[in-house]
Amino acid sequence: MKKAALKYNAAHLMAARAAREIKDGETAMIGVGLPLAAGIIAREVHAPSSMIVFEGGTVGAKSRRMPWSISDSATSDFALAAMELWRMLGDLQAGYVDVGVVGGAQVDRYGNLNSTAIFGQGSYARPKVRMPGSGGANDIASSCGRTIIMMRLGSRNFVSGLDYLTSPGYLSGGDARARANLSGGGPALVVTDRAVFRFDGQDKEMYLAEIDDPANLEAVRKLVGWPLRVSPELKKMKPPSAKEMEVMHRLDPLGIVLGTGAELELEDFEKYLGVLERNFPDEPLSR
Amino acid sequence: MTSGRKKLDKVTDLASVVNKYVTDGCSICLGGAIARESVAVAREIVRQQKKDLTLMGAAMTSAGEILVGAGCLKRIEIAYFWIGVVGQGFNFRRAVEQGVPRRPKVADYSNFSASLRFLAGSMGIGFMPTRSLRHSDIIRYNPDIKTMADPYTGQEVALVPAANPEVAFIHVQRADPSGNAVIMGNLWNDPTLARAARKTIITCEEIISEQEIRTNPNLTAIPRYCVEAVVPLPFGAHPEPVDGYYWMDQPFRRDFALRSQSREGFLGWLQEWVWDCADHNAYLEKLGARRIQALAAIEKRFRQGMAR
Repeated sequence: MKKAALKYNAAHLMAARAAREIKDGETAMIGVGLPLAAGIIAREVHAPSSMIVFEGGTVGAKSRRMPWSISDSATSDFALAAMELWRMLGDLQAGYVDVGVVGGAQVDRYGNLNSTAIFGQGSYARPKVRMPGSGGANDIASSCGRTIIMMRLGSRNFVSGLDYLTSPGYLSGGDARARANLSGGGPALVVTDRAVFRFDGQDKEMYLAEIDDPANLEAVRKLVGWPLRVSPELKKMKPPSAKEMEVMHRLDPLGIVLGTGAELELEDFEKYLGVLERNFPDEPLSR
Repeated sequence: MTSGRKKLDKVTDLASVVNKYVTDGCSICLGGAIARESVAVAREIVRQQKKDLTLMGAAMTSAGEILVGAGCLKRIEIAYFWIGVVGQGFNFRRAVEQGVPRRPKVADYSNFSASLRFLAGSMGIGFMPTRSLRHSDIIRYNPDIKTMADPYTGQEVALVPAANPEVAFIHVQRADPSGNAVIMGNLWNDPTLARAARKTIITCEEIISEQEIRTNPNLTAIPRYCVEAVVPLPFGAHPEPVDGYYWMDQPFRRDFALRSQSREGFLGWLQEWVWDCADHNAYLEKLGARRIQALAAIEKRFRQGMAR
């Protein structure tokens, strides 16, 4: 059989790239959507003794199904522990969590994030777009060992000034975060669908470290709302491997998290059931 | 205070507890978030047209969307308000952005700090300190959050006020008739909510005997002295899941999210799934036995080998 080129979308690219930042043995606190996929890929592909903890309070679940939130039943399937939310996030504050994955609708050059509101012509009380709010993002950004930021690179979300600072990165840069006495280390990198950014060791400003295609450099610059610095050793983003893709397809056959367009299966309950039944045969968990 | 807490048989029905304990203008919190979310309770609160409520919590999805869309809430103290991966709920957005059907006052917290409010409330103290929130705009726009120097280390901490809602509804897997409640899987902050609220109502998938409770007391998340009433409410979290009992009804959630994109769409949904269903049983009948049994069977498949 002829081997087709591996097909992947922006979500697959981001999830696989972020996954590679999670190291073996680490405890990772994971948020909804793509970050979940990243955490699971890490554990299944290159970091078998890494462990996912969810804000919802469950520790080290081994689920056959993709969790669709930080507190659904999939997050407690064959878990090691199930605790209250305040206990889990207390453990985070105390320094037990090595790495966290967070997102937002806006990020600035110092990795500060907004997931609360886009003001537009309005205000906090009457914003143009009201978003979900912090959830655990502020807590993770404040206290986690280090954070990975995941978000799409669009024209309006890499901004020179946030409307609302939900989750602290390096604040105003330089030693501002250290002076603020936030116990977590701050953002290590920003993974997007077109590029990866890191932060300068001194002034903590975000710079371009990897790009999907070097020919897109100018396009990426245009999407960033400040004069973007580029690493002299700019690398090409590595696409998902076959193994990484296999994990994503297996866990998310409906493409709900990874957006692979299985919308039709969700329109109808019987189709939904059919996909679940086909993809998760009725047998005991063997792992 | 005369209290139902001292009774041994507290079993009653959903309409009665909502009617009795939810008064216009009172503060409420709903247990669970996604897992065990008190969605049936939210529908009943709407059905009884309760108004001017303050909703306190950490995160809410379907239940919060229904309450805010029906205009029951005047104030929301929360960290996260969303539907989840199938799409966002537009009721919260429409309320805050456009004031439709009304604009609730929102007090933002983070998940941890929102949780600590209930922890303080559950222990009878007035506030809790945290290292979160500092240097963010959460603190800037929420005047209830203060900062101070830790009197022992001198380091700055943020303070959040205790939350003691007037009534909490907590949906659990199992409870005995006196209210000893067993929660499996995701706990959220529910053992703490139950203690922080002035009145705590347990709704449950199944009533079990006190004898069964006594076979493994460590499983009791909420002891009966916190509990005012117990309501058997099978599938009380639908379309959200209950660990070990049924999985998420994703097509239902997606339909809700899509219809909530317009005010008319949401009102149509409300008509169909709240007003046209006289009670929770009518709602389940409309869903159909096949659908709810299938959701239960799928959950079993994923939990095979786990204690239930």
